[in-house]
Amino acid sequence: MTASVPRARIERRDLLVELGTEELPPKALRVLEQALADGLRTRLTQAGLVVAAIESFATPRRLAVHIRRLAVRPPDQLIKRRGPPLRASFDAAGAPTRAATAFADSCGVALEALGREHDVKGNEYLYFEGIKTGTATVTLLPGLLQQTLDALPTPRRMRWGAGDAQFVRPVHWLVLLFGREVVPASMLGVEAGSVSFGHRFMAPKALHIASPAGYAKALLTRGKVIAAFDARRENIRAQVEQLAAGLAGRAIVGDGLLDEVTALVEWPVALTGQFEPRFLALPREVLIATLQEHQRYFAVENDAGLMPWFITISNIDSPDPDVVRAGNERVVRPRLADAAFFWEQDRRQPLAERRLALDGVTFHDKLGSLGARTDRIGVLASAIAAHIGADGGETARAAQLAKCDLLTAMVGEFPELQGCMGRYYALADGEAPRVADAIRDHYLPRAAGDALPASGVGDAVALGDKLDTLAGIFASGQKPSGTRDPFGLRRAAIGVLRIILEHRLELNLIELIDRAVRLQQIAGIDAAAAGVSADIYDFVLERARAQYLERAADNGISTEMFDAVLATRPASLLDFDARLRALVGFVARPEGLSLAAANRRIANILRKSEPAAASLQPQPVVRELLREEAERELHDALLAMRAQVQEAVTAQTYARALDLLAGLKPAVDGFFDRVLVNDPEAALRNNRLALLAELRALFTGIADLSRLPG
Amino acid sequence: MKTTKIGPKPRSFQDLIFILQHYWSEHGCVILQPYDMEVGAGTFHTATFLRAIGPEPWSAAYVQPSRRPTDGRYGQNPFRVQHYYQFQVLIKPSPPDFQELYLDSLRSLGFDPRINDVRFVEDNWESPTLGAWGLGWEVWLNGMEISQFTYFQQVGGLECRPVSGEITYGLERLAMYLQDVDNMFDLVWTEGPQGRVSYGDVFLQNEIEQSKYNFDYANVPVLLRNFDEHEQACNDLLAARLALPAYEQVLKASHIFNLLDARRAISVTERARFILRVRTLSRAVAQAYYASREALGFPMLRGAGASANVAASMEGALAVDQARA
Repeated sequence: MTASVPRARIERRDLLVELGTEELPPKALRVLEQALADGLRTRLTQAGLVVAAIESFATPRRLAVHIRRLAVRPPDQLIKRRGPPLRASFDAAGAPTRAATAFADSCGVALEALGREHDVKGNEYLYFEGIKTGTATVTLLPGLLQQTLDALPTPRRMRWGAGDAQFVRPVHWLVLLFGREVVPASMLGVEAGSVSFGHRFMAPKALHIASPAGYAKALLTRGKVIAAFDARRENIRAQVEQLAAGLAGRAIVGDGLLDEVTALVEWPVALTGQFEPRFLALPREVLIATLQEHQRYFAVENDAGLMPWFITISNIDSPDPDVVRAGNERVVRPRLADAAFFWEQDRRQPLAERRLALDGVTFHDKLGSLGARTDRIGVLASAIAAHIGADGGETARAAQLAKCDLLTAMVGEFPELQGCMGRYYALADGEAPRVADAIRDHYLPRAAGDALPASGVGDAVALGDKLDTLAGIFASGQKPSGTRDPFGLRRAAIGVLRIILEHRLELNLIELIDRAVRLQQIAGIDAAAAGVSADIYDFVLERARAQYLERAADNGISTEMFDAVLATRPASLLDFDARLRALVGFVARPEGLSLAAANRRIANILRKSEPAAASLQPQPVVRELLREEAERELHDALLAMRAQVQEAVTAQTYARALDLLAGLKPAVDGFFDRVLVNDPEAALRNNRLALLAELRALFTGIADLSRLPG
Repeated sequence: MKTTKIGPKPRSFQDLIFILQHYWSEHGCVILQPYDMEVGAGTFHTATFLRAIGPEPWSAAYVQPSRRPTDGRYGQNPFRVQHYYQFQVLIKPSPPDFQELYLDSLRSLGFDPRINDVRFVEDNWESPTLGAWGLGWEVWLNGMEISQFTYFQQVGGLECRPVSGEITYGLERLAMYLQDVDNMFDLVWTEGPQGRVSYGDVFLQNEIEQSKYNFDYANVPVLLRNFDEHEQACNDLLAARLALPAYEQVLKASHIFNLLDARRAISVTERARFILRVRTLSRAVAQAYYASREALGFPMLRGAGASANVAASMEGALAVDQARA
């Protein structure tokens, strides 16, 4: 047992950790920054230190953390420990036993210094009470930092030179200051010191850091480095927007691009560059992809569309910026010329003519060609279209063309333009606009918050695409485990949910999944289909749970309510949704919880008497065997509303159904108050069990209320 | 901080090569000549692929003509060709100032990183046929990729201990930038008493004819048969514990695979299988090479008395071979 000992005055100092490295991967930079700060905070806190103000920094060549006012040692701990019983501590002659001396040793005191303590039964024990002085922070730091660095989440660590150190990239220096003093430490192949380095070219000399609080300023003024990621990011945004305004345009500043560019520079300097206006004839997405993805440039537009300008972020305040500008313009020209060539070339062959070639492209070695996949998507999409009233001809056409752009040169060069190019090429071929849109839309939604397909045709093909992916990967035994999800099945499942729920599509998901599974060309698939389909249903519904619970504050849905509905395995997601929402209302009313408790009781009773209950399941309740008045009342109440409840369930007006069932509360209460289910006479007992089974069946027609918490 | 001063810009393609050779020679590299077989990149030279294996230190630099049959454009494209030059540097163990050494080489080529925007942008390298991977960057000069910079982590399936650092310069790109030309074939190779010789004068006809061979004339059945034969030969040579000749069979097989690819003679699934076959060979060669160096006592470690022992064991090996013959 421990407790902090209050202390009058604690000396506090600022801590600075800066790890200097070769250029870190830009997309991992923020994650590394955050993990370093969080990891240190967690470990310091675990060591008993209070971390109040923590600030982190990240540039391509450094990760740093500044913690303000960290105590020089954790507070002392008041330690109370009970040792061995007294009778086991001394032998007959009164000499201490091994148990006693070992306990004294472990407390760090002599045996004579130990006290005595009684427990409630009057047994006497050896007892220790003392103050444990905390280890000095400066002593703790190297170990805590090393553990933090070892635990950083990084996809691949590397070694360099002849050493054994492993990190994301080679490490060159470590600044570790506690107050103005260097913490003696050595890790990742370097000794801790107070020397940092500024910008690689603009401030190459060693940069002495005098104190943690002066770190960011020293780097900024003497090191030509804006160390804080957000400050650098906003600086870049401001420069880009200013340059764009100077061109009478607006910069297209996506968060992803802005983050990536921020992670590539220490001293951002924005520059404009030009390209030939003839390239503006290319599709907008192609231009943006060329500028953004390949070159990390910001595109510029005005109300008329994209402008023949780009903005690049250099990492140097060059005395001759035209050299940098001209170089970048040189690079973008052949890139755009390539794109223009692909655009010309691809349109010479109609999209539809590429369909046959998909038969020769492997989608997945266990799941056949892209052509086979196209056909499977077509079957599913057509079935879906028929249910949701989408045009069958257009759906079939869109499905056949959906994957054809994968064979175009443009998509080969810019995979992220899949779908988008298919739409352009389909329009160029004179395909119906809705077909063209569906080709683009069938990949939607690609990410959280993304748009959904614009038409029923798009919905049908998008659902077909996702269900085929889920079915194929599950059927070939590759369902995701842990955080690994190489085929994007979680995304596919969320896509299915969002399209169906947000577009209110009445579809039998269980049937569709089963169909998708049986379409897979895998040996023995028919025999395995039922199990695989159930797995997929569960997988999709687990994503639904996460989606509902994310918004629990607004929708009032709890995980138990979700389980209650899931137990009934509704085939339609809209039906699922309706049951769930009705349940929220039901739980809120006074009868709700009481009936939930009754359901749990019934479920328990039925479970215990399972063999008997199972055998009498088909048997209806025999009126003559209902001896007690309370059980006859319950039976009457049940009969009186059964038809209405069933009608409401069929009409999916679950609130109405639950409303009716709420009326059973007095009868149910009366039954449990006055009737003993476990009557010694088997006939009576079984009849009562049958009554309860009927009652429960009526509830579980909506949701399994026994899963709600008491 | 000591840095090389900014040199004058090389005026010609061959000047560029001379300056790089001179620079890396000054920094302790063995200056080698190209490997005399068709390869896809400087990495395939034995001075990189095999020397990166095992504990022995090694520093080398060389030009490697590289063949990428699928990249041919019949000499029509200003910067895409099936045959080009790489300048390759390999240093093992990678020195702590490896990036600085590289930047100094740019300075020696007349690039002042105080004026130009030089950046190391993440680009990790993986060669499925060589069973090799490494982490590093592509180097950007004012937005243009001019070099690849890699710390080898694994080669031929073997962990790299110590780690080799590899730099690959794209010579044509650098030269196009230095000479401010948009078409590679317009590069000045050299100016001599007989006038200006361009890159096109040297390579355009070759580019056109080789593209035709790669795409239109290469005999697919013969190539398929050759692939099998080289695979077999490699395995035979491995059985005889001749790592270096076995490796040449890998190079042959790898180039034939690239030609078949250019002829579109390999389907997607077959493609993966071909790659696997080459990888299997290169892994076996890597292990055989390691074993052969180990048997020699890793002569380049030059530990006390190592040289004498190695000489003895080498003689022993030769004697055995002669006896066999």
